[in-house]
Amino acid sequence: MSRRGKFAAGGLVIAAAIAYLIWAGVSQSVVYFVTPSELLAAPTPSKTYRLGGFVQAGSLKWEPKSLDLSFTLSDGKASVPVRHKGTPPDLFAEERGAVVEGSWTTEGYFKASLIMAKHSEEYKAPPDGAEPGYKELIKSLRGESTQ
Amino acid sequence: MKAPALKWAIPAAVVPVLVLLAYGFRTDPREIPSPLLGRPAAAFSLTTFAGTPLSLEDLRGKVVMLNFWASWCIPACYDEAPALERTWRAYKDKGVMVVGINVQDKEAAALEFLRRFEHSFPNAPDPRGRVSVDYGVYGVPETFFIDRKGRVRFKHVGALTDEIARRQLDALLEEPS
Amino acid sequence: MIPELGYGATVAALLLTLWGTVAAAASARTGRAALLRSGERAAVGAFALITACIALMIYAFLAFDFSVRYVAINTNLGTPFYYRVTALWGALEGSIVLWAWMLAIYTLIVVIRYRRSQPELYPWVLSVMLGVLAFFLLIMTIPAPPFERLTPIPADGRGLNPLLQDAGMITHPVALYLGFTGFTVPFAFAMAALIVRRTGEEWITITRRWTIIAWYFLALGLLIGGWWSYHVLGWGGYWAWDPVENAAFMPFLTATAFLHSVMVQERRRMLKLWNLSLIILTFGLTIFGTFLTRSGIIGSVHSFTQGTIGYFFLGFLALVLLGSFSLLASRMERLRAEGVLDSVVSRESTFLLNNLFLVAATFTVFFGTVFPLISEAVRGVKISVGAPFFNLVNIPVFLALLFLMGVGPLIAWRRASAENLKRNFLKPVVAGLVAAAALRALGVANGLVLTAMALVVFVAGTIALDLFRAVRARRRSGDDWGAATWGLLLRQNRRYGGFIVHLGILVIALGVAGSQAWSVQKEVTLDKGQSMELAGYQVRFDGLSASEESNHAKVTGTFTVTNGRAGGYMLYPAKKFYAQEQNPIAYVDYRLGWIEDVYLVLGDFARDGSHATVKLQVNRMVSWLWLGGLVLTFGAALAILPDARRAA
Repeated sequence: MSRRGKFAAGGLVIAAAIAYLIWAGVSQSVVYFVTPSELLAAPTPSKTYRLGGFVQAGSLKWEPKSLDLSFTLSDGKASVPVRHKGTPPDLFAEERGAVVEGSWTTEGYFKASLIMAKHSEEYKAPPDGAEPGYKELIKSLRGESTQ
Repeated sequence: MKAPALKWAIPAAVVPVLVLLAYGFRTDPREIPSPLLGRPAAAFSLTTFAGTPLSLEDLRGKVVMLNFWASWCIPACYDEAPALERTWRAYKDKGVMVVGINVQDKEAAALEFLRRFEHSFPNAPDPRGRVSVDYGVYGVPETFFIDRKGRVRFKHVGALTDEIARRQLDALLEEPS
Repeated sequence: MIPELGYGATVAALLLTLWGTVAAAASARTGRAALLRSGERAAVGAFALITACIALMIYAFLAFDFSVRYVAINTNLGTPFYYRVTALWGALEGSIVLWAWMLAIYTLIVVIRYRRSQPELYPWVLSVMLGVLAFFLLIMTIPAPPFERLTPIPADGRGLNPLLQDAGMITHPVALYLGFTGFTVPFAFAMAALIVRRTGEEWITITRRWTIIAWYFLALGLLIGGWWSYHVLGWGGYWAWDPVENAAFMPFLTATAFLHSVMVQERRRMLKLWNLSLIILTFGLTIFGTFLTRSGIIGSVHSFTQGTIGYFFLGFLALVLLGSFSLLASRMERLRAEGVLDSVVSRESTFLLNNLFLVAATFTVFFGTVFPLISEAVRGVKISVGAPFFNLVNIPVFLALLFLMGVGPLIAWRRASAENLKRNFLKPVVAGLVAAAALRALGVANGLVLTAMALVVFVAGTIALDLFRAVRARRRSGDDWGAATWGLLLRQNRRYGGFIVHLGILVIALGVAGSQAWSVQKEVTLDKGQSMELAGYQVRFDGLSASEESNHAKVTGTFTVTNGRAGGYMLYPAKKFYAQEQNPIAYVDYRLGWIEDVYLVLGDFARDGSHATVKLQVNRMVSWLWLGGLVLTFGAALAILPDARRAA
């Protein structure tokens, strides 16, 4: 083979190896965006999903001792029970939007490895914070009366 | 010896990438729906800054555009304020009511805001914050579109534009009472 | 007043740069010097006007002038003084002003340095630079004006995003933009060289220092970004393959390739087409990066905002890429190589491989970043591509690059003989293998870590070997070790500056490998007085306290950390409540160490302070990343020293 041919062949081999890695990487780590309705229509335990919905009122349960967090994500039509180990991120609460990443278990709930709470840059929160107001929180931590 | 046209393959190769990026403008981010959609709007009974009573019950039968705002809400409330007034003036005779609820604000600052933007639709403060909580408001501005039967049909988060208001109001006005 | 003045200055600067672009180009075509002088004056005028814009903006910030919309959004009455100044580049509009200002400064430097020394290239260089500057001024005029008025004037502003109220966030954009804008100069020279058909090595030699400096600032910006992510965001990591991180990483990769391949062109007059393509690609990627951050087409935690600005950037990107590649194509016949690749086993070949891998990595990152778009366009399926993809492909590539880093500087040009290979590489290869075996014996089982360590020792061995031999040779002229080393470094500062930069990369590589392989974490809810244990550390929760600062309130947890050895210390992770934010922002507390960092994040807590949930991380070798950055600094500084030091 000519010298140029050898170089070309070598380059091609490397390119092919990288193309294979890319293909394998994408197949392994692609994450599908779904709503609760879409997930429940065809839940597949082997896929990684990013599930977006709002946290249903009254569904949030947090156990500080065992770090078990459970709640239900809904899109108004379907609801998905979600479980997570660890404290939720700061912007996470009931009746608010959230996106969770994880997979569907055969036991019938969504196991979230990551919780991302949605937050718009566009607007501002009231100065005294959402309920309970943070000023109250500070007062109670200082042991002051919150009346 | 390269074929003369082959060298133009280089700039040509750029084009599909640019097209792909341009396609990106068309994709919409996924919106997470509000839990309130389709449910009856929470009742409220307030007193406007002018001293008159304002309750949602009295507005049954009209399409209601309910806007939560504050004078410290920069820049979004400032951006949408003219659009709110324009929408009110355009739709007040068509069976639409525009109502503003002032959230956690100081009265003097709120009145100044209303004066500067020359709002002529009713605006009321929400002294105990109950209405904000009932509507799940956790930031301002948020605007709710309520149909003639008193159900929340659409929620817009962030500054409202004339187009969005027009689109929602026209759709709700077309529905039978 | 300020909005009107600022807007006027912006428009005036835009008109001046537009004129300057045309005048400089026209002077090159017609030979009329008066036009060129006019173009230069336009550059000076634009610089003065942009500086005035910056001064006006800073004044508005310091004076709490909330009639300026940008000031009202990004500060409030409680914002501390220094953040009021740095808020200038805290959001979209201001960041464009910073970019434009840096471009204007670089343009002035180009004017001063090259107006006499490069008469043929200079007019076109000036024209290109003013053209790019005009684009950013256009952005400042139409889609993202920083001087908009807000009426009525609010009593208080909104405030700076608390995540940006940090020293890392003050410096990160500055370093990054110095890097991005720095590549405009080599790009402009490349365009000039193509236009006047002087496609030899000249444009490379002239812009060598610019490239190194821009590359360095880009590296610095990336490292500072990693540091910010590490100590502010609370997840204990420094790189997430986020689209915006990737957008800054891609030009860094191609710039690294460019830095190396130009050496082949200088020596062997090959790769001319390749080098020109690389600098066009690098510059294009800096524009693409800005486009990505500001257009909103790909969701990211970093994205600024949407609006029409994306269209402007895409249009400019199209103009730059199509224009420069077409120019390149039209000059193709002048770009034939004058040397040939003699052997696979040669320095040329090693550098070519280095380039191949770097471009492959760039392609991978690009592909992973835009794949969601492709998927949606082709299949209608919304997806995202996560960190595992980037790691799977890039880790082997980076390991290969590490290996090449050891081979390249020592292997012979043209064709390396077996003798040459043995002489230069036998000992380092043995050292690498011995190191891997030793680590294995010590219990390190992770294959990737072993490979990385072996390669690091191999590369360090080649550097040590070369340095030792060169200093020993110098000593024959009578110097002692110290003077010989110092003299060598100064005499061949390009080469040894490069070696020190390589050393810096090695340190960073060690930090990455160690931190990925050996860091541990644990999350536990502790009652007051209770302790948790991880990696030999005991952390005891002592209580909560509350306080009020100028623009936020704070709940702080007190924790005592001990590790059985001498003396413990206290850590105070907190939650900060900012008035303008919906929820508290976590404030991480940490203790850095050479080998490991102790890192504590406060999660949930009880209102009465009776218990708190805390995440403890023991992160190994993360400090080596920052150390590596320091070494990079020395290396780059040495490499750009003026060549006047021709010691005897």
